[in-house]
Formats: sequence, structure tokens, C-alpha cells
Amino acid sequence: MKQSSKRATRLAIATALVVGLAACGSTTSSVSSGKGAPITLAVNPWTGSAVNANIAKVVLESKLGTTVTLTDLDENATWVGMDKGDIDAVLEQWPSGHGPDMKTYIDEKKTVVNLGVLGPQAKIGWYVNGAALAADPKVATWEGFKDAATAAKFATPETGSQGRFLMGDPSYVTFDEQIIANLKLPLKYTVAGSEAALITAIKQAETDKKPILLQFWQPHWLQSKVKLTEVKLPAVTPACLASADAKDGKYACDYAPDPIFKAASVKLEKKNAKALAFLKKITLTTEQQNEVAAMIDGDGMKADAAAKKWVDANAKIVDGWLAK
Amino acid sequence: MAVALAPSPPTASTTARRYAVPVVLVAGIVLLAMLSGGKTKFADVPTWLDAHVKPRTDIIYKWVVLNNQKHWIFTRIFDPIASGLRGVNDAVFWLLKALRWPGLMALTAFIGAKTGGWKAALVGVLSLAMCGVLGFWDETIVSLALMIVAVGVSLLIGVPLGVWAGLNDRVNRILRTVLDTAQVMPAYVYLLPIVVLFGIGNAGAIVATVIFAIAPAVRLTSLGLRGVPVVANEVGASYGCTRRQLLGKVQLPMARRAMLLGLNQVIMMAFGILVIAALIGAGGLGQAVLAGLQKNDVGRTFVPGLVMVFAAIVLDRITTGQRRPAKANSRMAKLTDLLPSRLAQIAAVFIGIVLVAIVARLVGFSTFPQALQVNITKPINSMVTWTNNHVRKGIPIVGGTTRLNEVLVTGLLTPLRDAFQYLAWWFVVLLMGVIGWLSGGRRLGLLCSACMVGIAVLRTWDLAMDTLSQVLVAVFISVLLAVPIGILAGRSDRFERAIRPLLDGAQVMPPFVYLVPVIFLFEVGRVPGVIASVIYALPPGIRLTSLGLREVSASVREAAVSFGATPRQELMKVQLPLALRSVMLGINQTILMVLSMVIVAALIGAGALGLETVYGLTKKEIGRGVAGGVSIVLLAIVLDRLTQAWGARTSGQHPAAP
Repeated sequence: MKQSSKRATRLAIATALVVGLAACGSTTSSVSSGKGAPITLAVNPWTGSAVNANIAKVVLESKLGTTVTLTDLDENATWVGMDKGDIDAVLEQWPSGHGPDMKTYIDEKKTVVNLGVLGPQAKIGWYVNGAALAADPKVATWEGFKDAATAAKFATPETGSQGRFLMGDPSYVTFDEQIIANLKLPLKYTVAGSEAALITAIKQAETDKKPILLQFWQPHWLQSKVKLTEVKLPAVTPACLASADAKDGKYACDYAPDPIFKAASVKLEKKNAKALAFLKKITLTTEQQNEVAAMIDGDGMKADAAAKKWVDANAKIVDGWLAK
Repeated sequence: MAVALAPSPPTASTTARRYAVPVVLVAGIVLLAMLSGGKTKFADVPTWLDAHVKPRTDIIYKWVVLNNQKHWIFTRIFDPIASGLRGVNDAVFWLLKALRWPGLMALTAFIGAKTGGWKAALVGVLSLAMCGVLGFWDETIVSLALMIVAVGVSLLIGVPLGVWAGLNDRVNRILRTVLDTAQVMPAYVYLLPIVVLFGIGNAGAIVATVIFAIAPAVRLTSLGLRGVPVVANEVGASYGCTRRQLLGKVQLPMARRAMLLGLNQVIMMAFGILVIAALIGAGGLGQAVLAGLQKNDVGRTFVPGLVMVFAAIVLDRITTGQRRPAKANSRMAKLTDLLPSRLAQIAAVFIGIVLVAIVARLVGFSTFPQALQVNITKPINSMVTWTNNHVRKGIPIVGGTTRLNEVLVTGLLTPLRDAFQYLAWWFVVLLMGVIGWLSGGRRLGLLCSACMVGIAVLRTWDLAMDTLSQVLVAVFISVLLAVPIGILAGRSDRFERAIRPLLDGAQVMPPFVYLVPVIFLFEVGRVPGVIASVIYALPPGIRLTSLGLREVSASVREAAVSFGATPRQELMKVQLPLALRSVMLGINQTILMVLSMVIVAALIGAGALGLETVYGLTKKEIGRGVAGGVSIVLLAIVLDRLTQAWGARTSGQHPAAP
């Protein structure tokens, strides 16, 4: 009996303490001025994604009174998040990597909606560094690699006598293996395993002045730091694109440009229609996005500060997004 | 088999006869291996041997994706669990935040002092301060909240399971296999399914952490209960204890040490998953590490990794404080000590902490003061640059890491992989069975063969052989380094003290932190994976070798010395043989740690099973991920049980049944 009464007292005191703490808790929840439910935007692990998400956050919070939480996460988890409604929207998705997601969530399940293109065009391609061009200028086009002696300049201990073709993150949708096989190039397709590994390999090659051939893309922050040249691949043809859709393994041309698009959870409409309308209208050009990215990567600014600076300096553009 | 077991020809001399059997056996095996291997139809896993694991898993996953908002399994079970976890996590986070840094430090000091005395309090507060000084206070709070909830849930589920397993042999056997799987199964396999079931963010991250970190809580509780002497149980029973009283008043208190060690291991393992949890939106320190990695900035990756180590120390020291009980009665000297008889005292302290928090808020200490922060990113980066410029090339005679990379690839990794892949699959199945049989009896032999057949059925044979070759090379290098270092540490107290923080750091520091330097020193491919695995797997090998030497009783060593043994003889002929069991346990742990690095190795170019498993998350090919992950688990079971059997033999005991 005595034991239990003691326990009750402890419980009471603990509760009192928690309540007491509540009194001195934070007051950040007072921001919402009744203009719409708070929303969550996904930030995927690259600078461009941080730029457009932060710009949207600044505008939504200052002009539309919507509190925005930014959540950093993997791009594949982003789709599952939008499906459940944990994530309300994402501003930068590359169509090339998300064909199955678009099919499952937008077409079949109808839990995610496409909000249209953001503006910048992404482009995947084959790239070589300065040392490669210096060693043999032929490598500026794919035909240069037909020569086994040229290709061998890209060899490493892991690839033996063959030249190495390096690919980064295994999640990227790529046709490199098919391109190499179908163009009959003496190259060995190698997966670096992550973007970090890919970038380290580039830096290493730059330090050693060794040739490197890899799959890379625009826009990327490294493009302004290391001089990489895109290798000319056979032009994109309708037949080539058809073989990509058919998955027949006959792909043998360059990558088509990737128009970056925006997507949102279908639940956002009910939750905060104003925010949805704004997210549909917001667009950025490649130059605008790069301008803010340079502030972050080049000048070491924090993403939120850089976004605010850009929004303040470009009131006209921002007003255009808000116009009815 | 038929060739291998052929009777040896009779010979006149006995020595010749002694060698004839093994020689013929080995020759027969080699001959069979060479004849059966190669790229023939006979050597490859036949196409009908297929469990269709990949397509079947994909079908289940697709169903879950399409139904996760309608079916009652999700709306009635998973969703409430998820929102419950999210709620608890938010509450803990809010509490930590509301305390502000002075309040949180006061709380740490108080709990530390209660559980482990002033020393634990001091270490706890200083470590917490370091999290702020290094500039990651806010991230630390996010991660600490997540860790507190995840560790709490692990104990809530793990301790009762452990009690059950401790009292029931059959439960113990079943749980052991389940826990082995949970521990070795790469988190990449279940990350996306967890997101589909529990949503992104903290709920999913907590579930993933619990799966990964719960094993030691169950294992060590069970071990502790089983370690209670029979006498103690009988005394309790003869005093008329009910079963419940016996458990609560005799067995659990006596299992305390083992349970505290379990808590310590749960904390350490939980912190190990922070970076991966950030992939599904957990934020905090893990996200900071990922951000540094993405910018390829070693300093910015290393600092949050270091903060993680400090945060782990805080949680560890204040919960598992080893204060010797001051009073004669040995009560559980841990969190229960927070509820002493004098309620007024504890209330006063808490009110004090709340007051500190209120004052901190009034003064405006919302986050850790900028003035106290130190940025060590730059010196670290210049150190890395220096190393890169001086270690890769130009070292006299040995050359440098670039040369080492070449030697390891062409001299060791490639030949070994080619040899394994050359062998016929059924030959490897038989060989593993024979090794298992010779090591630990028929049951172990059958288990080893069954696991290898499992890999064949999963259709990952060549990848598994590739991974096996890399794992063996990494284990070989680890043992080559760990045993001498462990011997040094076992014979010199000063050396042991000097390397202890390094070992602690290497264990908690997320491997992601040293990936970039390792790739830069070597070259994208299998070698950086091997090196990273060695760094990660060294601590248990060193620790257990040292422990083994130290456990050799002083009287035995003195006896050797008094018989005129030199220090060298004493080590080689007395200490090491007696420490062999502990060393074997160290090798066993090394193998498991290397296997848990297979995924990380794939992120820096090692390919094989690791890469196959990564596809599970990154390409949403869940079936592929599951096949890869289960293959890793099967390899782990074979290697684990074999080394355990060897360990048991060295001490003259009968090997444990598989």
C-alpha cells in the first residue's frame, strides 16, 4: 500500500515537472497567422535541390504565412513520403531516374501529382578531364575510344588492360553498359558506388594528372571547379529512345536532356491549396538556380541565407509567382 | 567425395603412413577442384535451382505499396505504432530543447553523479560540452532524442525477450538465429520497406535502429540470467521465493553486470546507424555527415562523426555508470537510483534544473553560444591534404599506397576471387560441409552445406564468391594487425591506456567518415573497401587478444618464469596458448564486423553482394536487395559457426551445437 502511494507521489511530481518545463518551452509555434497549414518539402542530397526548396520556403513563409519544414532525405524515400503525405512536395525530380515511381504513384495509385517543369534542363553524359584530352585529343568523341591503345590510357589495376569507364551512384538510371557494348568499345564498365566515390576519383585523377572517363551531369557544383569536357556520343534518335522504353538492350546513343519537374502529394490540395497553387507556378531558370548554388558552394553561405538574399533581390520574379 | 575418401595405400614406414592419408586427401581434393571447375555447364549453378526470391519479394512489396493506405494491417497496426513513436520522439526532443544547454548539462551531471559518481558526471558533461564546442549542438539534440527513444524501445522489447530466452532453452535457440540475422542483415535491405510501413522521418528511423541494435539487449540479459549460479537459485527457492520473486529479487539483480554491458552495446550499435537513418529523413548528426560527404569535404564529414562519438559517450557514461555500490546491499545502481527514498531531495534537484533552464531562456541561451565554438574543419583538411601528398607515392622502397593498391589487387584479391569463382558450385558446397564436419561434427557440416546451397538458390553465387574473397583478405589483414597490437596491449598497461580512446573512436565513428580519404589514398575499387573494413574491425580483435593475455593467471606465468622461461618463451609457450580461446573469439568478431561492412565497401567500389543489396534501396528493386542481403547473412552464419567451433576446440571443450 505504502509502495503504491509513494509511486503515485512520484508520478505527480514528475507530471508537475513536465508541466513546469512546458511553461518555459519554446514559442516558435506562434508564427502561423492562420493562413494555411504548415507543410513539409523534401530536400534531396544535392545543392540544386537545396536551392529551390529554400527559395520556396522563404516565399511561402514571408508572403503566404505558411510554415515550411525542410526534410533532408534520399530521393527514393521522397516518393514514398509523398505517397503517405509525410512529404507534401518536392521541387526537383529528374524524370530519367523515376519512371517506375511516376507509373506507380502518379498513374496507378494517384497519390502523387505532377506539378509541371521547374525550368532547368538537366543533362547526363560522358565526360573526360583535361589530362585525358592532353594525352589524346581523339577522346573528345566516342569514336576515339574505338582505338584500344587510346582506351588503355584509362586503365587501372582493377580493370587490367582495358580502359575504365566509371559510373557513380548505383541508383542512377544509365545506359552506359549498353552504349559500351553496342558501340563495341574496349572499355570496362565500373560502378564507383556513390557520388562521393565518383567525385573523389575525379579529384584523384586531377591531382595525378591522369586521364579519367566517367558518367557525369549538369548541373553539378563540381563543374565550376574542375574542367570536365563532355564526350560526343552518337546523336539521340527516335529509334534509340524507343529501345530505351522497350528495354531491349540496344541503346547506343547520347542521353536525352532531362526536364526537371515538380511533384506534390495529392493530400496537399486539401491541406493548403494556396501553397499548392504557388508551387505549381514557381519556376527557375538554370542561371537563377546556379546563381544561388554558387553562393552556397562558392561563398560558403548557408542555403536559407542565400535563398533569402536572392528572393529579396528579385522581388519582381517572386511577385510573378504569386500573381493570381 | 569418393576420391577424397579413398583408402591410402599401405606403406612400410610409419611416418610415411602418417603423412599418406592427408597427402592423398589434399591431392584428391585439389584434383577434384581442378577437374570440376571452370566455366562449364557442370560448374555453374543450374538454372532450375532457383527459389525465385527476387520476383516473389517484388510482388509482395508492390502489393504493400499499393495497399498501405487502405488495408487494415496498415491503418490499424502500423500507422498507430508510427504515430506513437513519432509522438514520443517529439516529446523527448522538445524536453531536451526546452532544457537549453545549461539545463541539459545540469541534468547530465545529476544523472551521471547518481549512477556513476562524480567521474561519470564529469565525463558526461565534458563530452556534452564538446558536442556544442565543435559546433553541432542543434544536430546533437535531434540525434540524442532519436537515440534515447530507440534505445528505450530496444530495452522495452529486448529485456523481456532476454528474460524469456534466459529461462527457456528452445526460445533461446530460436532467438539466437533471429538476432544473428538482424545484426548482419544490412539496413539497406529493410530501409525502404520500413519507410513504406512506418513513413519517413523519426518513426521509420527508430524502427530501423531498434532492429539493428536490439540484439545485445536480448543476448546479454539471457546470458546474465544463465550465469546466475545454481546455488543462488536454490537458496532463493528454499527461502520460499515464488518464481516471480526469484526472478525479480535474485536472478535479475545478479545478472545486472551483463545487462549493463548489453545496454552499453545497444547504445554503441544504435549510434552506428545514425548516418543511414538520415537517408530516410532522420536529420541530425547523420545528415551533417551525409552533407559533408556529398561535398567531398573530409573535415565537414569528420567533425559531425566526432560529435557522434561524444554524444554516444554521454549516453553511455550516464546510463551504464559502474559505480561500486556504496552500501552493502547491491541494488541496481543505474536509473532506478533516480528514485531514492528521499523524494524531497530529488524534487529539489529537478526544480534546480528547471530553474537553470528558465534562467538560460531568460538570458537568451537558445542554442550553444557562438563564442565557445571551435571550427576544426580546416586543420583536418590540411592534415588530409598533407597525408595525400606524402603517403601515396615516393616513400623509399615500399613506394606508397598507390603501389600497395596495385599489389593487393593483382597479387591477392583478383587471384583469390578468380579461384573461388572457378570452383564448381557443388564442390564448394561439399567442401564447406567437410570443413564444418571436421570442425564441429555432422550437424555443423550439414549447416554449412545448407547455407551454401541457400546462396545458390538465391542466384547470387558468383557475387557471393567475390564477396567471400574480399572478406577473407580483410580478415587476414585484420588478424595480422590485431594480434600483435593486442599482445603489446596485453603486456603493457601504458600502451593499452594509450590506444583505448582510439579503439572506442574507431568503433563508434561512422565508417562514412573515412571513406573519402581511403578512396583517395588507394583507388575506387575493392582495396578501399578492404581497408575501411580493417579499420572498422580492428578494435574487437585487439581487445579480445589483450583480454585473453590478461586473463592468464599470474600463478601460471610465475611458474613458467621460475622454471627459467625467458619473457619470449613465456609469451609464446604459456600466455598465447592459454589465450587462444579469447583470440579466436576476437577473430570471430572480426569476421562479423567485416561482413557488416560489405555494404559500405560497395559504396566505394567493391561491387559484389554489397552492390546488389544497395540496389534494393536505390533502385527500389527490393527483391534484389533481399537476395543480396540474405546471401550476406548466410555467409556470415557459415563463417561465424566455423570460427566458434574452432574457438571451442582450442579450449578443449565440445563445440556448441549449431
